[in-house]
Amino acid sequence: MSAQHIHPEPTTFLRKYWFSTDHKVIARQFLWLGCFFLAWGGMMAMLIRWQLANPGEPFPLIGQLLMPRSGGIVTPSAYTTLFTMHGLIMIFWGITPVLIGFFGNFCIPLMIGARDMAFPTLNMASFHTMFIASVILLGSFMVPMGSGAAGWTTYPPLSTQVGTPGWGQTIVVIAIFFAGVATIMGGINYVTTVIRLRAPGMGYFQMPLTVWGQWLTAILNVLFVPVLGAAALLLILDRTFGTEFYINGSMATENTGDPILFQHLFWIFGHPEVYILILPAWGIISDLLAFFSRKPAYWYKGTALGMTAVTILSAVVYGHHMFVTGMNPLLGKSFMLLTLIISVPAEVFFLNWLHTMWKGSIRWTVPMAFSVGVVFVFGLGGLTGLFLGTISTDLYLHDTYFVVGHFHLTMAAAAFLGSFAGIYFWFPKVYGRMMSEKIGKWHFWLSFITINAVFCGQLVVGWGGMQRRLYDPSVYTFLEHLGGVNKLISYAAFVLGISQLLFVYNFIASMIRGEKAGDNPWHVGTLEWSVPSPPKHYNFDPIPTVYHGPHEYSNPKVTGKDWVGQWEPPDVIGGPPAGEEKKGEAASGSTQAAE
Amino acid sequence: MKRLIPLAAFGAVMTGAAAAFAERLTGPQREAGLGLPRDVSLDGYRIDSLLMSTAVLTTILFVIMIVWLVWALVVHRDGKHKAEYDTGDGKKHVTTAVMISSAVFLIVDGNLFLNAMVDMSEAFWNFPTSDETVKIEINAQQWAWRARYSGTDGEWNTADDVVTLNDVRVPEKTPVVLQLASVDVIHSFFLPNLRVKTDAMPGVINRLWFQAQETGQFEIACAQHCGVHHYKMRGVLTVLSDEDYADWLRRMSAEATRAYDPNDEDARWGWEWDREEAN
Repeated sequence: MSAQHIHPEPTTFLRKYWFSTDHKVIARQFLWLGCFFLAWGGMMAMLIRWQLANPGEPFPLIGQLLMPRSGGIVTPSAYTTLFTMHGLIMIFWGITPVLIGFFGNFCIPLMIGARDMAFPTLNMASFHTMFIASVILLGSFMVPMGSGAAGWTTYPPLSTQVGTPGWGQTIVVIAIFFAGVATIMGGINYVTTVIRLRAPGMGYFQMPLTVWGQWLTAILNVLFVPVLGAAALLLILDRTFGTEFYINGSMATENTGDPILFQHLFWIFGHPEVYILILPAWGIISDLLAFFSRKPAYWYKGTALGMTAVTILSAVVYGHHMFVTGMNPLLGKSFMLLTLIISVPAEVFFLNWLHTMWKGSIRWTVPMAFSVGVVFVFGLGGLTGLFLGTISTDLYLHDTYFVVGHFHLTMAAAAFLGSFAGIYFWFPKVYGRMMSEKIGKWHFWLSFITINAVFCGQLVVGWGGMQRRLYDPSVYTFLEHLGGVNKLISYAAFVLGISQLLFVYNFIASMIRGEKAGDNPWHVGTLEWSVPSPPKHYNFDPIPTVYHGPHEYSNPKVTGKDWVGQWEPPDVIGGPPAGEEKKGEAASGSTQAAE
Repeated sequence: MKRLIPLAAFGAVMTGAAAAFAERLTGPQREAGLGLPRDVSLDGYRIDSLLMSTAVLTTILFVIMIVWLVWALVVHRDGKHKAEYDTGDGKKHVTTAVMISSAVFLIVDGNLFLNAMVDMSEAFWNFPTSDETVKIEINAQQWAWRARYSGTDGEWNTADDVVTLNDVRVPEKTPVVLQLASVDVIHSFFLPNLRVKTDAMPGVINRLWFQAQETGQFEIACAQHCGVHHYKMRGVLTVLSDEDYADWLRRMSAEATRAYDPNDEDARWGWEWDREEAN
């Protein structure tokens, strides 16, 4: 274990803000990148919803500007690009940079008492690889025949030259490959940092659950994003060099390529990916619910181990995405059982969340509101997953809007509200100022109500049998009566989109002239609140020693306040004075303690 | 208190909506309601009843969750009382949490799992073997469904094969087995009113079976994104009475024989029936 050196703070603008190795700067870079693409992907969602509400009518106001050749009308080919790129951008360029790039980078070192990531230069390289991926991605919109159009799942043969000729789809797949490389770099960094750089006294079970979520996510990233990389690389070869990994019929019967091979590779990555996107949000709200209920997180170990169990199970359930591909019945039934088993650990930590709030003293702040919102949408999303993990019901619901509603509730709505919970919560630490509670509450209620309306509406039309990715559902008579619901969903989506301007305003205005935040405005006890807001260049000097768990709230042994900092000496709760704690405990808790 | 009014109102509205929705789903089927499309198949009831029972169970869980959340936010809000210091890892707490989770798992997931196992083995993956089974080959393309019947002689790729476009006709109350393939990209053959769906893929022959219980016209939809005009890939399934079907097939077969061109290789895209349905 090497000591964590304190390097001098960079002085040039470029080293300070662009080629920075400081995890806090890189976190902010990821945040801005992520927010840019969330807005971009959100705008695409608005266009999709406009088309579904008013098929074939020109998009108002800026339609002419966006799609001049069609006079502002979303054409069928534009529509395929919209839903394809909406999915890819939101997942790889929106949620990943914000939930993993921003929160992971900002929170992990500060919450475990480290001065920076284990590999600061790799961390910098991760952001710049992501930046290159973003430039490549944006380039795909400027080539003839448009950007990717094969759906975010890019199933071949549709994603090969057979179905999507032109450069757009190739560029998109290359961009995904680069984004994957960036994610793996970050993942390696997070895993190593958590294992090696925990402050003395911080065992795995003294880590805040935010760090648990990030750590498990990073492990999944390191294990499964390479599979996506392999799948993408083969697809690039198929598209540009005429190989036939994914075309030309079945490998089993003709010894040539096989489109199903891609689906296996994609979902081996793809199912862990949905947990990659949601684990950080689970972690964040597991902490925030305890912080704002002023109560210890209920059965902390159950939550941590439950999330771990879900992480492990996520690797062995991917077959439920392929129930209707003509899969071997025995395989199908095995995947069904494994999928349903995931509900056990998920229920355990879900019950823990509900229990954490029970008999607490709940402070209804904006981060708390968003956390409760996550519990709500995740509950709804989790329950609807049951219908899709079962083969017979999936036979009907597969590839309908029910699937769209389900995965948006679990990984889009929950990740979205979870991100806001985290941003409102850590904003004071990032920028040293508070965000407006009043605007935040408005933002919460508008977002929460409309996001539920949108995705519950999608569940309803999916239940009625409406397939995904339909340019104009009124082609089918059995879907005609769903036009009204589709309109309602769209109007809710527009309100949802517009209400995000409140957040943008709140964020920027608070950054400039928000009320100054002290070191610890929320009165919570995790390590990042022991340092000034914003923290100094190298966070901690000296590195703190940890004596308590992350959720010591309303401990009756403490007088005068209802929280205990993890850094506070053990005698605040009646333990022995600092320096006399059991030696063995500290040593087993952290590798760094042996330093 | 004031700040909690919207919350309580939202909880009440959501609870009501969930209850109304569950009633809507489980109530009698309507042609244009928000429920499932009308089921006209032999085995669709299996899927419908499993969807319904799960909808009821999950709605109950969902309502409990909402009541719990709203209740906790109202009675345990800041200033009401001091928070209880409870880390929740006492033996009693842990046992209770695991028991509740297991109970929910056994009831909700158990119901799904057992029913699905039975339904798949007895119906959806139990391909009919009787002689009266109607066999049809479906070859999907961007953006249409081509169907081939072996005609009166029962041989594939012969002069009397009946070939149709976006028009599949089957007799009522008779098992129908489809073999599905595709010439270009992956499509998915979806019959909403019969609750079945299977992908049609290039290079692989997939299969699907159903039995329609009443005559009429129903829609064939493509469920898998297959390109720009995916949304237009609509076909019609016509369920005819036995006599009408036999009559139609005979007429079409004779017409096909008359129009047969032995030099037209492309017209003979059919394949030898891939697998005999044996158990």
